[in-house]
Amino acid sequence: MAEEEEEPGFEEEPEETHGGMESVHGRRKRLFSKELRCMMYGFGDDQNPYTESVDILEDLVIEFVTEMTHKAMSTGRQGRVQVEDIVFLIRKDPRKFARVKDLLTMNEELKRARKAFDEANYGS
Amino acid sequence: MPHQSSYKQDKMADPARIKPENSPEKISTAIPKDEEHPTSIHKQEHFQDTAKSAEEIKDPPTEQPQESGAASAEDEDEGTSGQPPSKRLKAEPVSASVSGSAPASSDPASAPVPGSVPGTVPGQAPGSDKKKEKRHKVDEDEIQKMQVLVSSFSEEQLNRYEMYRRSAFPKAAIKRLIQSITGSSVSQNVVIAMSGIAKVFAGEIVEEALDVCEKWGDTPPLQPKHMREALILIVASFSDNLGSA
Repeated sequence: MAEEEEEPGFEEEPEETHGGMESVHGRRKRLFSKELRCMMYGFGDDQNPYTESVDILEDLVIEFVTEMTHKAMSTGRQGRVQVEDIVFLIRKDPRKFARVKDLLTMNEELKRARKAFDEANYGS
Repeated sequence: MPHQSSYKQDKMADPARIKPENSPEKISTAIPKDEEHPTSIHKQEHFQDTAKSAEEIKDPPTEQPQESGAASAEDEDEGTSGQPPSKRLKAEPVSASVSGSAPASSDPASAPVPGSVPGTVPGQAPGSDKKKEKRHKVDEDEIQKMQVLVSSFSEEQLNRYEMYRRSAFPKAAIKRLIQSITGSSVSQNVVIAMSGIAKVFAGEIVEEALDVCEKWGDTPPLQPKHMREALILIVASFSDNLGSA
């Protein structure tokens, strides 16, 4: 899964290329800065987390997603990412597995609910 | 966040008091994409219970809690828990919640809630009702415990809890990221799943980092060294599990 990327240098405000040796790994633009700050606070960090920590976390998340995507592409139907593949990859991790199941179930229910509601409205 | 009608909502939201068919009571079902309304956490909790998508709505959801979107309580944690089987079958859940402005988070994904139970799908065969009932009981207990817990939160805890539930990765960015890797488009479910997992992952790192921070005798704002140590520990434990897989 997420292999640890031994950050070679230090996590300053990482600009584009970190000495050129980094792959494009989230060094470009910061995608999730705002959301991650809220998330870190929610998970227990300070209300104003350090920017460097947020950056590290963003890199980790991007790497995680990348890894998972690559693995999913090589599972099941090759070259495509499907939900079943993700569920399969996650099966060993109870927290994530439960979470995905929940999310998908809720999504289904909501879709059904919306549909039923729309039909009800349409009828009346 | 306005709590004013939280009591009223309590009554309405109380699963034990919900009349299955007739009352278009509770409406907001939690949207997995986390559209939680910032307003009242209490309300959200209550809504979760009933909202579990089994409320039959006869009328349009006039009951929407003030925020027109209706706080879609984070349903995830409860799944469809808390619904007696009869309600479930009638489920015409309202997809309520359109969350209001999420502070600093675009569409909230789903906050990982401890003890989430996989929801059951309405309309299952009667044979599985017993199991479902049992699961309902467990869910209901859990929901009530959560309610009690949340209602006793201090202001700061409430803030943090709200952030915990509402924060999420923006679906668009995740989708773009995945698509840039696969080169082809991915379905919405994939994005939903990936966002959710990513959030759980982030949570694991932060929690581990907080443990490390405490162990090293430092104080909260987490520093990069804590994060790196946390990552090492998590990956190490992960490869340990792999060995036994």
